[in-house]
Amino acid sequence: MKKRKGLSTVFIVIVLIWLLVPLLVSLIYSLFENWAGIVPKGFTLQAYASVLTDPQFGKALLDTVLICIVPILLTNVIVLLALFVVTAYFPRLEKYVQIICMVPYTVQGVILSVSILSLYVGGKGFFASRVVMLTGAYCIIILPYVYQGIRNSMRSVNMPMLLDAAQMLGCSRIEAFFKVVVPNIMSGIIVSSLLAVGIIFGDYVLIRNLAGSTVTNLQMYLYQVMKADSRKSSATFILIMLVMFLITTVVLVLKAKNDKGKKER
Amino acid sequence: MAEYIRFEHICKNFGEKKVLKDIDLGIEKGELVTLLGPSGCGKSTLLRILSGLEDATSGKVYLDGKDITNVAPQNRDIGMVFQHYSLFPNMNVRQNVAFGLKKKGIAKDEIREAVDRMIDIVGLSENADQYPSQLSGGQQQRAALARALVTKPKVLLLDEPLSAIDALLRHSLQVEIRRIQKELNITAVFVTHDQEEAMVMSDRINLMHDGKIEQSARPIDLYTNPQSKFAATFIGHYNVLATEKFVSIMTGQRPVGKDLSRSQTIAFRPEIIGISKSAPANVPADVYLLKGKVSMSLPHGNFLRYNISCGQTQIDVDTLFNRDKLYEDGAEVYLQIPAESCILF
Repeated sequence: MKKRKGLSTVFIVIVLIWLLVPLLVSLIYSLFENWAGIVPKGFTLQAYASVLTDPQFGKALLDTVLICIVPILLTNVIVLLALFVVTAYFPRLEKYVQIICMVPYTVQGVILSVSILSLYVGGKGFFASRVVMLTGAYCIIILPYVYQGIRNSMRSVNMPMLLDAAQMLGCSRIEAFFKVVVPNIMSGIIVSSLLAVGIIFGDYVLIRNLAGSTVTNLQMYLYQVMKADSRKSSATFILIMLVMFLITTVVLVLKAKNDKGKKER
Repeated sequence: MAEYIRFEHICKNFGEKKVLKDIDLGIEKGELVTLLGPSGCGKSTLLRILSGLEDATSGKVYLDGKDITNVAPQNRDIGMVFQHYSLFPNMNVRQNVAFGLKKKGIAKDEIREAVDRMIDIVGLSENADQYPSQLSGGQQQRAALARALVTKPKVLLLDEPLSAIDALLRHSLQVEIRRIQKELNITAVFVTHDQEEAMVMSDRINLMHDGKIEQSARPIDLYTNPQSKFAATFIGHYNVLATEKFVSIMTGQRPVGKDLSRSQTIAFRPEIIGISKSAPANVPADVYLLKGKVSMSLPHGNFLRYNISCGQTQIDVDTLFNRDKLYEDGAEVYLQIPAESCILF
């Protein structure tokens, strides 16, 4: 038992080092002006000041956050409603919904963006908007992650029985779903949304191809900065990681609150 | 007394499979009626049709004189406790119990009072702020019972609520549910596959088999007078034998009074059989005498069940546990079966 615990500790430490080294090196690189051999010299926060005072960074951050929120909300609502209908009324159709939701796993960003462009570009109206195209593309890309997270949570709470119980207490079926089932799968919704945030934050291909001239996200900003100033690009990278860390922390705090009372005695 | 609940010609098909076949059943107000039967006999389906969670393929359901066949479950004013713990995991006991009352739009003060009273009735006052995962199985079912009862429904449905609970707790909960049902004088329909549980809890048992009501009777009548071979087999651990075989293993004179030649099956309960080591000197005229060997004895606490081999036929005999009157495996024994206690089919 002790040996197993020791082994797992070693494994965790190795993984942590593997994950943290690039971050640490980038951080050191962004904080020093020059190097004496392998020792950094000349501590400065100038790269950070430069990024943070750059209006382009603020815009990219805001665009990224905004372009995250809409597809994630939309996908969550669509998947929740689809799974409600399937679980409550047509359980036999669930396998088909699963197949449909899993298909985007196999679609690459370039292919997706080119397909969307060839279908909608040149058209008129709502779907011709680049931002709408991008939102739709993100909905497709995050669909498998959101679906899987929600479906797994639903299975863990025995949704049909909760629906029956709530109905016997005076709720309609849809009311029972939103009042009883959704609060109980909130933790799954939060985790899959977090995963979706990570995917959208890390996207470069879709946004570049579909809405490069309209929307600039953090990845595009980083790419632009990389070409001009490597120290500033390291600082940007660290700041992106910091934003992700903050979002993750907020989400996990929310999740912890939701999990309150579900802990085993 | 007028029937409070009435099932009229209820049929239910799942695809090609006929689960309920023309069920006609009435339940009186204030009764606790059990739907008893083996898995797949249709008892839970019938209960779900009464709740509205399942639609009947044909037939009508009446509650308190009104046709509720097409009324949505949330509008039927029926409470239900499910087989698996159905408490809402994100709510504590108090919130779970208050859920139905909040839905009805009752004032907060009234809700608090009603919830506290009901939690007290089911004996969960000390656990009121705990979440379902912090409760034992028995506590969860008591909370579910409180939640179903607090809205004062017209009927309480219990779908095998004790099947996932350990034996000791199950017995105490059986008594507790019965006490609460009587205290609140609520009409209740209880589904179980456990005949002992049905015996303990019911005013009336409806024994179901293959989508039909096999027999409907008071527990004691069902136990002492099963009307079919299935009822005899399912209730009371009857010895059920082909009369031809039974006649072939009889010893001595045939008793008067019962004509075995007119029936195919004979059934008798294990506890009415007398057992002795030596042949009885005078066998009464209305008693069947058999001779056999003890093949196995199974202690059941206060009674012993002997498995007796009479030729190729096995007969179970129950005797009260008596340390001075035990029969070893392999011992030759004589069995006396009063003819009047035998049932012929």
